[in-house]
Amino acid sequence: MTAVTAITIEKKRGAASNGDAVLGLILVAPIVLTMAALVFFPLVDTVWDSLHRINPMQPGTPFVGVANYTNMLSDADLGRSWINTFIYVAIAVFAETVFGILAAALINQVRVGRQWILAAVVLPWALPGVVNAVIWMWIYQPGAGLLNGILTVLGLPFDNHVWFNDRASAIVAVSVVHIWRMMPLTIVIVLAAMQSIPDHLYEAARIDGAGRLKMFTAITLPLISPAIAIAMTNGTVAAFNFFDEAWVLTGASLDTRPVLIQIYLETFQNLHFSYGMALSLVVTVVSLLVSLIYVLRVYRSTRFE
Amino acid sequence: MPQSLPFRIMIWLGVALLLVWSLGPIYWTLASSITPTSDFSARPIHFFPQNFTLDHFERLLGINVDRIGGVEVWKQFRSALLNSVISALASTVFCVAIAALGGYAFTRLKFPGRRPLFIAVVATLAIPGYAVLIPLYRLMIGLHMVDTFVGITLIYISAFLPLALWLLRSVFESLPLALEEAAQLDGAGRLYILFRIVLPLAAPGLTAAAILTFLGAWGQYMVPLIFSPTNTKPLTVLIPEFATKNFIDYGLITAAGSIAIVVPALVVIFLNRYLVSGLLAGSVK
Repeated sequence: MTAVTAITIEKKRGAASNGDAVLGLILVAPIVLTMAALVFFPLVDTVWDSLHRINPMQPGTPFVGVANYTNMLSDADLGRSWINTFIYVAIAVFAETVFGILAAALINQVRVGRQWILAAVVLPWALPGVVNAVIWMWIYQPGAGLLNGILTVLGLPFDNHVWFNDRASAIVAVSVVHIWRMMPLTIVIVLAAMQSIPDHLYEAARIDGAGRLKMFTAITLPLISPAIAIAMTNGTVAAFNFFDEAWVLTGASLDTRPVLIQIYLETFQNLHFSYGMALSLVVTVVSLLVSLIYVLRVYRSTRFE
Repeated sequence: MPQSLPFRIMIWLGVALLLVWSLGPIYWTLASSITPTSDFSARPIHFFPQNFTLDHFERLLGINVDRIGGVEVWKQFRSALLNSVISALASTVFCVAIAALGGYAFTRLKFPGRRPLFIAVVATLAIPGYAVLIPLYRLMIGLHMVDTFVGITLIYISAFLPLALWLLRSVFESLPLALEEAAQLDGAGRLYILFRIVLPLAAPGLTAAAILTFLGAWGQYMVPLIFSPTNTKPLTVLIPEFATKNFIDYGLITAAGSIAIVVPALVVIFLNRYLVSGLLAGSVK
């Protein structure tokens, strides 16, 4: 269907001089049409509509200027969810980076069965976030859950302990689920960088009498630092976009609510469409600023001819 | 570098810990799904199932028809499973096909606007989905495409196209140009070259793009929560619904979770090589 539309568009435009150019335009037409209709148009629409009042429960869509944006400043719930999001970003990026590098260094030392270990490690990333959430919801379950079961076996007083009752332990519990899903990405990226380090560097260091720790800090860490930066940026963006696990585990609870849940509630429960749009733009800009390094890298390696 | 015995023991202890962290929660879900509900709250806790039952799966799949709270769980579950498979497969096929055709054009064919178009499409990788979600919702309502396979598939395609395109173009770029030039001298047309020479050579890259798209679509939650609420509801939207009632049926949840785990697990076990290469191309470049 799209191919036919593409060809008719092409005929209207007509005058392409050589065959390659015509064929090229025909081949990219599905991409252009899809992206224009479902990404670029909605994106422009978001910007435009965020300057209006759009609420299916109220008639008309009057222009309100930047009111949707200034309202954010006095929105207490939004403030709390921003704080939660920044806490998630800090905890997740720290844990993913530190433990991810450790795990990658471990796997890098393994000689047999490395691909099977890697497959096991990647598995949590491949599962739907919702499934991860229910897996951990069952582990955290107060009366019959695995976590309290283990702690009780160890002789600790955690029988029927409720992990989501106070804010600190709830945030940590939710973060653990997110880290469980996202750490594999850090491990894969860092491990690939470690494997690209030539062996002769380590040989030379060994002849000079360096120990393993010295080699790790003097050779490995500096050479994998670009990969660490990439992994951290990926982790940051993922933590900003955190929704699935938090929504399934704790729902709308203000204690653990990240900004994405705030957007969802404002838009699809309160039906403040334009406020939701303004909010999603602000979150996008913040996460874009943070991921600027990542984007610059993409551009740098996008060279033509 | 030679590894001393204590060092190797340390490494394997670390690896064991890593495996317990990664697989332990999954094991616990699988184990619970075949444990009778009456054994769940046994204390001290049993780390291995003491009694075996297929009761949860039977209720879930409607093998011995049982009703919970008047709702036929298995009918919902079967259609959700089917919906997940349909929407994920359809998105994967269309997304990879469109990205392969376009990726080839962006790599080998010269046409006006090639560079800005490519940059514009790839730049959307940096834009989170929710930034376009609300206008999309209104658009889909206008087109009567909310809760249809066409609607959800179109959204998934637009969401996963940039990554697939980015990945496939780097694959096409790494293919030797000489092969295509030789075919061209022999009088082969562009499309013949694309379908008979380039695409077969790019099979590993196509597989990687397909895996990333499939897993992405299979695991989506927020998008189908909004765009597939009832008739096309996938597993990811159905499973949390088991957990929002007053009485949470962990037997059903762990059984449903186990089934939702199987598909990604098979992909990881058999296609991990392609998956890892795709992850790296998608994140490192």
